Amino acid sequence: MSVDASAGLSNLEGHHDVDITWPWTRPGELRRGSTAVVRVKNEAANLPFALPPLLRATDRVLVVDNLSTDGTPEVAAETAARAGLADRLTVLSYPYEVARAGAEHLAQHERSVHSLVYFYNWCFAQVATTYSWKWDGDMVLTREGELSLRDLGRQVGREPAVVRLPRHGLYLDDDRHGYVDLGWRNREEWGFPTGPDFVYGKAFEWEIRRTPPRVRRVVLPDLLCVELKHLHGDEFAHWTDPESFATSWRNQRKRREWELFHALRDGRVPGGVLEVTAPEGVHVVDYVTRTWLPRRLRV
Amino acid sequence: MTDEQGQAGPPEPADYPRKVLFVAGAGRSGTSTLAVLLQIMGLHVPRPEVAADASNPKGFGEPRWVVDHHDALLAEAGVAVGDARPQAWFETGRLAARDEERARVARWLEGHFEDGRELVVKDPRLSWFLGLWRIAAERADAQPVFATMLRPPAEVAGSRQKYYNNKLGPAHLTASWVNMLLHTELATRDSTRVFVRYADLLDDWVRTTQHLGETLDLRHVLDARSEAIRDGHRFIDPSLRRITVTLDELDLPRPLRELTAETWTELDALADPGGDTADRRATLDQLLDAYVTLYSEAEAISRSSVVAATATGGLPGGTVDRPGVSTGSTDDRGARSLADRVPHSWRAKVPPSVRQGVRRALGRTR
Repeated sequence: MSVDASAGLSNLEGHHDVDITWPWTRPGELRRGSTAVVRVKNEAANLPFALPPLLRATDRVLVVDNLSTDGTPEVAAETAARAGLADRLTVLSYPYEVARAGAEHLAQHERSVHSLVYFYNWCFAQVATTYSWKWDGDMVLTREGELSLRDLGRQVGREPAVVRLPRHGLYLDDDRHGYVDLGWRNREEWGFPTGPDFVYGKAFEWEIRRTPPRVRRVVLPDLLCVELKHLHGDEFAHWTDPESFATSWRNQRKRREWELFHALRDGRVPGGVLEVTAPEGVHVVDYVTRTWLPRRLRV
Repeated sequence: MTDEQGQAGPPEPADYPRKVLFVAGAGRSGTSTLAVLLQIMGLHVPRPEVAADASNPKGFGEPRWVVDHHDALLAEAGVAVGDARPQAWFETGRLAARDEERARVARWLEGHFEDGRELVVKDPRLSWFLGLWRIAAERADAQPVFATMLRPPAEVAGSRQKYYNNKLGPAHLTASWVNMLLHTELATRDSTRVFVRYADLLDDWVRTTQHLGETLDLRHVLDARSEAIRDGHRFIDPSLRRITVTLDELDLPRPLRELTAETWTELDALADPGGDTADRRATLDQLLDAYVTLYSEAEAISRSSVVAATATGGLPGGTVDRPGVSTGSTDDRGARSLADRVPHSWRAKVPPSVRQGVRRALGRTR
């Protein structure tokens, strides 16, 4: 079973509205530059933090909404307009339910419109630039993170290079109070060239970006990006159930998040987690990304 | 005019906000002239500096550490100073992504703020590492600002051939100019920046420097003392622009000649008041795309030359522009000698008279 990256893709259900035409088969060449692809469902609370630095760091941001009920597309548009960068934003809608990570995902064929693989391939098929960033609606860059993505996005050209970016969980208790997890180093791959060697395939719990045998990797420093977790929300809704990340080492990050989330909700602060209180009048996300993390990198 | 008693005196430089001015541009474009002039105005060039020589008798305004460090990074990246490959930007960019590299450069900057709150960092290799320096400046709690020197490409190529005896030919020198300038413009786009024509600097340095000081908010320029202004006049010599060549005299391949001429027209207009517009940036994007295409086509049809050069150890008609080996302006100061690879702190322990003797024996001026 594999995704054909030379021809287009249609789905098992015959929904032609989401047939996939690969960008490298369209007339004309891909534009030099980078596009961030943000696949979101109910991220209205996070996008005002996540989008502005991402819009500054890339040439284009593509927000793909998947059946949100909280006004996510409108918030995305308003946020970009407030940042003065509305011309860099495109909001699209993917109108089919997508399987949650874990058992539900495993049960889906990768050519189904309900598969994470098909969903991701459809999203990235909308990219028209030579490089792309996979991005989550709850990931917020620091200023240095923003500069790093922008520089690499401009320098990478047509090099087959993959960029890893460490991110740190920021668990939000309220607007001024939260916890940063510096006890866990998670260096996922987020940057990929646009091309037939870099399409999505199926992995056990989720999708996986395929890469050619010889690919160059760049690892960015720690402390440039946080992932927002709302202690009073449901942070695991995109997983089938906790059993889905209970066994493999592949899921250890998710287990760590599960443990931290519940420990913090119970009033315990695990090792490697630092409590942060923002000054009066400053939101804790702004404080952590603009002051607290950069200060830790200062000489 | 003298301050009246009781009137507030000029601001104290110790109170100025931390700032680093990065002077970018191709070698032989007046980068040294600007750096030294700003040093005269009171900005601080971190010491020790590269000493003046016959190619730049009034000094380079270059910190020695920066030159040495850039050379080491370029060698590691496999990139030559005058590299014309568009892909070379990724090779230097991936080194700039390293945390330890960012920390090292930030520490070096930090150490020099005791000597001055507004620093000048200039080196013809600087364009390759603009992203690294910008991040390092921010880690050192300083605002990075950028000045890019502009000089007609034919004059740059002519000057590099004259003063550095470059054997790679005008087409290579011109292509490397296009590559460097278009990428420098792109890399500084979201920062506080200014473009300065070398000709303007020589013609009316006071007006040009005032514009630069206002745009970049350089306090030493805005608050310049009378004696600094007098020294500026003593320093600037309009005859410094000794090479006047046109593109037509360089005998370039036609597509490169046209692309270079258009690139110069657009870059030159960036130096006009209000010239840094979205439309002009879009045009420069198109020119960069055109250069990348032109270079990859040239690369594709010249593979036999590369294969032959690999087999014989050199390209026909000239020396090889080796990674990390300077070619071009101060970039063309010749291959790094054994002495160059000795850390500066060790070299500094050798008495000057002995160093001079060694240099003479090696036939080098510096």
